[in-house]
Amino acid sequence: MTNAPPAPLFRKVLVANRGEIAVRVMRTLREMSIDSLAIHHRVEARSAHVRFADEAREVHGETPVVAHLDADQIIAVARACGADAIHPGYGFLSENAGFARKAKAAGLVFIGPDADTIDLMGDKISARDFAAAHGVPVAPSVQAKGDIEAFISEAGGIGFPLLIKAAAGGGGKGMSIVRDASELRERARLASGEALRYFGDGRIYAETYVERPRHIEVQVLGDGAGNAIHLHERECSVQRRFQKIIEEAPAAPLPDRVRADICAAAVRLAAASRYRNAGTVEFILGADGRFFFLEMNTRLQVEHPVTEMICGLDLVRAQIEIAAGRALPFTQANIPQRGHAIECRICAEDPDNNFTPATGSIRLLRAPAGPHIRFENALDEGQKVTADFDPMLAKLVVWGENRGQAIERMAAALGELTLLGLRTNIDYLSRILRTQAFRAGAIHTGFVTEQAGALAPAPPDRAARDHALILAALGQRNFRESIEIVEDPYASMGGWRN
Amino acid sequence: MALHLTLDGETHSIEIVQRRPVLRLKVDGRAYEIVGHDAGPTGSAIIGGETVAFARALVSDQRETCFVRLHGRTHEIRLIDPREETGAHDATRDEIHAPMPGAVISVHKAAGEAVARGETIVTIESMKLQTALTAPRDGHVLEVLKGAGEKFDKDELLARLAPEAEG
Repeated sequence: MTNAPPAPLFRKVLVANRGEIAVRVMRTLREMSIDSLAIHHRVEARSAHVRFADEAREVHGETPVVAHLDADQIIAVARACGADAIHPGYGFLSENAGFARKAKAAGLVFIGPDADTIDLMGDKISARDFAAAHGVPVAPSVQAKGDIEAFISEAGGIGFPLLIKAAAGGGGKGMSIVRDASELRERARLASGEALRYFGDGRIYAETYVERPRHIEVQVLGDGAGNAIHLHERECSVQRRFQKIIEEAPAAPLPDRVRADICAAAVRLAAASRYRNAGTVEFILGADGRFFFLEMNTRLQVEHPVTEMICGLDLVRAQIEIAAGRALPFTQANIPQRGHAIECRICAEDPDNNFTPATGSIRLLRAPAGPHIRFENALDEGQKVTADFDPMLAKLVVWGENRGQAIERMAAALGELTLLGLRTNIDYLSRILRTQAFRAGAIHTGFVTEQAGALAPAPPDRAARDHALILAALGQRNFRESIEIVEDPYASMGGWRN
Repeated sequence: MALHLTLDGETHSIEIVQRRPVLRLKVDGRAYEIVGHDAGPTGSAIIGGETVAFARALVSDQRETCFVRLHGRTHEIRLIDPREETGAHDATRDEIHAPMPGAVISVHKAAGEAVARGETIVTIESMKLQTALTAPRDGHVLEVLKGAGEKFDKDELLARLAPEAEG
């Protein structure tokens, strides 16, 4: 009797992305005997994702980003090469409803939710209204509708502290934190005036201000027919400039009841929207245990590996199976969960100089290794890092039996990771892991600002500094020649060192 | 002759005391014996009796910089070009470099125009933030190397002032 392998779920999948996520998706495709088709701009013809793919095609554009955002061209490539599905990764076209719609119209399977779901969740107001209508907590808010007295009375009813924002605003203009009722009238007047000056629109609104908020998000899977499950939560409270840098699963200490409530709210939203494929519902959590819906990301997240590591599953495989019409791979009752996982985003930036993006070339790369360590990257030595793309270079992900062990493993792996040639945040991440506050799980979105003192680099001790200086000098050819380093005692011992 | 290097804003010097039979160097006056040094990007060396494993990368795009990684920490060391040390020409007074990567929004001064210290020469945008780059001294613009809309990398030369008359 022969066991013929099952037919692949798709023939060929175009991966509409680049970098680490493209390689990560292609790995799973290969395991599933599905051919991968890479796209690339001319300047990235020699990139790792191009070499990794079974097949690659150039897409044209003034810049690489323009090419990766050209929906029509990408769909034409998919059709011309005989692909039957598209995986969008994250970023680029992954949350573009128009792209999902066009792909479907062209007879391609878009590995993600329906275009209508992307539209619903892509608009902040409609997403918030939909969430509220389905019993998902949203931050209480009141909009001023001309009558300032009514606004003040309603806003006071929400409770303090309050955040007053300009309806047309952004960038902090017209924004003000009000801590008690006595300040409300004056602050509302000032905010409205400022909003009018900056945006030509004096409308303001007030919402609950969450102090020291934590960012908690829930991974969900839906089948598009109203069945949805969650794969536990992730915590992404350590951020800089509103960008996540360390994510973990499960959350740092979180009361069981809050965890259950947040996960249930996420599943309600996914089921109500008849969500299909993998998605993430993001929440803000206050110290008092109250949580509010932020947004839903209708795609695979950057930080999805921490969920994979605690659940022991491959989310991209789940995405592909769901897209091919298979039932959800788990029921809520049998979703595995074990241990703790942490991800650090390795970025080309200068953390000691306001996180300014760094550019340069990768001259030396040595990845860490060992049990339960993933180094997600598509990096090559000699590769240039320009301002063309996001400053994230790679992700380092580890798993441990518990949070403490995961922290120790991450600290060791960060120490082992060698990525030289430009400034990176690697040592900064190590310093975060060493802080008492991080180890205690006392994290919130203002963590890196609050801990700025503890996170500043300490001067190296004199021996380490002298060693580094000597090794730098000896690395320079002119200096080496000036000391005729061939006098190295090993040189007289023959050719055994090659 | 001593080699000068900077680390964390401080300048250090390395002198060759003895080449053979073993190499002896002095760092800011402290002597070290170096044995078995690997010339490559990764390796080990015995420095002052201590075995030190290292990784190292030399970058010479704008200025010669060496990244040295020891015990899980990276040190960024700049090797000072002896020509810079002579002090014959103070480039920082004449050149306007990009403080971070970005794009030029507008150019306010053309070649040949007079500028006063603090006057804006170009406005740039980096990470959605506009910044005015101003003249470091009174003088005349010699050239502006990037036009509106053009992109640049960190430290790239954007504009140059005409050298000051010898006085």
